[in-house]
Amino acid sequence: MRRAFDVFLALSVALVVAFLALPLIALFLRVSPGELFAQLGSEAARDALVVSLKTSIIAHVFVLAIGTPAAYLLATRRFRGRELIVTLTELPLVLPPAVAGIGLLAAFGRAGLLGGTLDAFGVSIPFTQSAVVLAVIFVSSPFYVRFTIAAFESVDPAYLDASRTLGASPRRTFFRVALPLAASGLSAASALAFARGLGEFGATIMFAGSLQGRTQTLPLAIYAQLDIDFDVALAIGALLVLVSVAVIVSLKLLPTWTRFGSTSPFAAAPSRSS
Amino acid sequence: MRRIGAAIALAAVLGACGGGDAGSAPVTVFAASSLTEVFQAIDPSAEYNFAGSDDLATQIKEGANPDVYAAASPKYPDELFAAGLIEQPKIFATNKLVLIVPKANPAGIHSVADLAQDGVKLVVGAEGVPIGDYTRKVLENMGASDVLASVVSEEDDVKGVVSKVSLGEADAGFVYATDVKPVADKVTTIELPEEAQAKVDYPIAVVKGADDEEAARAFVELVLGPEGRQALDQAGFGLP
Repeated sequence: MRRAFDVFLALSVALVVAFLALPLIALFLRVSPGELFAQLGSEAARDALVVSLKTSIIAHVFVLAIGTPAAYLLATRRFRGRELIVTLTELPLVLPPAVAGIGLLAAFGRAGLLGGTLDAFGVSIPFTQSAVVLAVIFVSSPFYVRFTIAAFESVDPAYLDASRTLGASPRRTFFRVALPLAASGLSAASALAFARGLGEFGATIMFAGSLQGRTQTLPLAIYAQLDIDFDVALAIGALLVLVSVAVIVSLKLLPTWTRFGSTSPFAAAPSRSS
Repeated sequence: MRRIGAAIALAAVLGACGGGDAGSAPVTVFAASSLTEVFQAIDPSAEYNFAGSDDLATQIKEGANPDVYAAASPKYPDELFAAGLIEQPKIFATNKLVLIVPKANPAGIHSVADLAQDGVKLVVGAEGVPIGDYTRKVLENMGASDVLASVVSEEDDVKGVVSKVSLGEADAGFVYATDVKPVADKVTTIELPEEAQAKVDYPIAVVKGADDEEAARAFVELVLGPEGRQALDQAGFGLP
């Protein structure tokens, strides 16, 4: 009886692994590695890589710079409406990307809510790289904020209190105590958000359109190349799989990596303050 | 407890197999997105997958198995026919291209030449998509290929072009004449010179190995027959 159950459990695992791994393996088996590499040199793939990296990095700078202090406040203070704000930042996590696209159009499109205001300043967002950046921020920032709140919440408040009692300013406490202690969680959040942003498709194609070298990101290039050159589409797909593997593997290695990385500022701190 | 689990598993398996029951299953049609309105009018009971003709051809090549394939260009049906995936395609309709602009016409576009102005946001079909290839052909015929410098987005099917113009996000777009009717209150149509028009033919074919070959043939006959011709004519298509 028990054996039968064990076999059932093992079978389920085998099924899960086979089903999830098969499409990824198939990507690499259909074309030889040499061929894949050659296809990445095609103009469409290279243009898409440049657009994707540029927009993802710009978006990520905004996400880190604004998301980190916002998450810190939400993690360390309790106030009325906090739950509501947290829920709002979580909503895009479960929102279908197409809804994000149509929402961004309704807000920032030429005929949208802010369209007239933006137009008055001579700014038009749809079909530009700014539109791609906005789409990426919209879908990736909730990941970062959510996990960063968790990272700051897991820092023992006693350390922050101690820092304050010993006379450190709130700013200094944030930079010298909270940030280093939460660094591991912050890096994980950052990597996840970056990967999510890099894969953004639905909101981008609706809000930014698709033009090679301007708004066509890697996922959009897969879609566009599907019927022009299937091998190029496969190659880009394989590249994105490799990036995802790199993100996951670095996340798994992270705890050891940050312990090593975050001790140095701590070690340096006393000598500088003495 | 175990019995409930087994029942759920059995139900799931049965549910997954249910699709095989061909008795009353509707005919499955893969059709170019420009056929969306007219095909639904001709046979509302069929199951449709409307997308770019090229995407549909890729899906059929990769093993999708609809009963009927109707495209906005002979290019992909001819390829599939040569590969032995579909039966001999027949032309059932023709179309032509027009330029559409939003009713408010923010960029003041009144002719193809106006598209070359600075800051105009032109949306076209991507290369390899029938509407994209026809658009390039027409512009070449007019000696106006330089207006492609105003392109801000290359859409994967004609409906992408229509929606971006009718929403007012783009200043202009090239679409089929028949795409205008559903958005007639939101866009203005600019006709293109007759001699510059590309030849837009719509072929239809039964897919080999169709689940229900009889129903597939009946659908093709319906489209080619008087009822289909009348609906196509009303929708603004040309008849071969």
